[in-house]
Amino acid sequence: MAAKSAIEVFLRKGVDDKTSQKLVEGGYTFTKVARASDKVKRDLEKLLGEKKLKQLLEAVKSKERMPRKKKEKPLKKPEFAKKQLPVKVPERTPMEVRLFKILDKSSRVLPHAVVSEIASRLEGVDIPDKLLEKMIDLTIERFETHVVDPNESVGIIAAQSIGEPGTQMTMRTFHYAGVAEMNVTLGLPRLIEIVDARRVPSTPIMEIHLEDAAQDDLEKVREIASNIERTDLIDIADVDTDINTMEVIVKLDRKKMERKNITPEEVLRKLNKAKGVKGLAEMRDANIVIRCDEPSYKKLQRISEDTKLCPIKGVEGIQRAVIRRVGGHFVIYTEGSNLEKVLEIAHVDKKRTSTNSILEIYEALGVEAARNAIINEASRTLEEQGLTVDIRHIMLVSDLMTSDGDVKAIGRHGISGRKSSVLARAAFEITSTHLLRAGITGEVDTLEGVVENIIVGQPVTVGTGAVNLVWAPGGKAEGEK
Amino acid sequence: MKYTRFERARIIGARALQISLGSPVLVDVSADVIDPIEIAIVEYDKGAIPMTVKRE
Repeated sequence: MAAKSAIEVFLRKGVDDKTSQKLVEGGYTFTKVARASDKVKRDLEKLLGEKKLKQLLEAVKSKERMPRKKKEKPLKKPEFAKKQLPVKVPERTPMEVRLFKILDKSSRVLPHAVVSEIASRLEGVDIPDKLLEKMIDLTIERFETHVVDPNESVGIIAAQSIGEPGTQMTMRTFHYAGVAEMNVTLGLPRLIEIVDARRVPSTPIMEIHLEDAAQDDLEKVREIASNIERTDLIDIADVDTDINTMEVIVKLDRKKMERKNITPEEVLRKLNKAKGVKGLAEMRDANIVIRCDEPSYKKLQRISEDTKLCPIKGVEGIQRAVIRRVGGHFVIYTEGSNLEKVLEIAHVDKKRTSTNSILEIYEALGVEAARNAIINEASRTLEEQGLTVDIRHIMLVSDLMTSDGDVKAIGRHGISGRKSSVLARAAFEITSTHLLRAGITGEVDTLEGVVENIIVGQPVTVGTGAVNLVWAPGGKAEGEK
Repeated sequence: MKYTRFERARIIGARALQISLGSPVLVDVSADVIDPIEIAIVEYDKGAIPMTVKRE
């Protein structure tokens, strides 16, 4: 049986009867002959004679399939174009150098941010050293009045400082303000959203800035925007179902397609890849026809639905893109957000593009970026309502939320629920459960926080309570003011 | 060393307690000053309080 089929293979490939028989009897199969090494060929020559062998090889050569590819090479590490990394601290300007020199001379310290702020305002102004010195004196004086004392209970102050303006915000903002006919959640709901570290904000929005090469060219900006905006098939075509022929007919709207820069071939390709319609679509005249492969109306219906929702173009999750002119340049605003995918698009300025989805920033750029995003979003939300809250309060909240390496909500599921102290947790919510569990597992409370010490009846570890006095005989020892 | 306002309060408070319990006053104060806290403040201003803080 096996021999017979082996002979058949040879015959089909155009080798004559006799030779095939001989070959198979000699234990050769077609593939063996086709991939014959020199040694095998010599054996064959003995078996068949020179002339026949040549004929055989000729016949075999043209018909043989390419040998299957061997295992793919291991993937090479992708090589990224080497770009200069952003420098964390920019080089000092001449004015900054001067200011730092004066500071060093009197061995005083000011934070870099303060110095560069002064320097940026003085840039280009000719000022004698003496005046500068006076300015620094004043700056230091003002700076020191703003410094928080050690042991200050900053948490409570932050809570009050954010909470009080919070009461002034309208409980529910119905009027949406903001960018180009787009809905943006503002006010208290937004603030709650930020602090709760919601996965998806109720109105995700992206602000996409473009690189210099593209940001002034409206045509190019339009093209990029249309590449970002999610386009489904139904947006560019009419979809009809023909029950008689069991077909779904897609009537393409050329005008709409032109505006979005989509070709019919592209649509066809996308349709043939889409789920549910895979490989069923074909061009007929100007339309695309999808033939149902089973005689089932249900299936036809499903194909029709899948066709309508077939993604043709754009980034997942972004429903709308609007171009606006901001400060002389074009900026794309989007409804819906997908930072990771948008950053991959060419000409998108990765440094300035942002989203209001904090979790997305965390996933794409890391905790530090998320921390900054929380600070920016929260202070902007408060500012928009005409409330001024010192940024340090917001920074504290943001630091607390991100200090674990990921973004945690404030409240039961986040920080308050995960405090290390049992008593602190018990004081917050569901007291008995926490105490019972702590009893069963034998938790230890080191009484380091405020709540624990209040419960126990000890001085708390902030403010005056945190000061440890020591006896220093000799009166004017180091305790000099 | 400059004290923070918490440290100052704590030092003056502790000293005032000592004075109120009969500790000899370490500075000259006029006879009409009888409030131990006031005396402690005067002592503090003159740097006479034999106490300091331990900072961690």
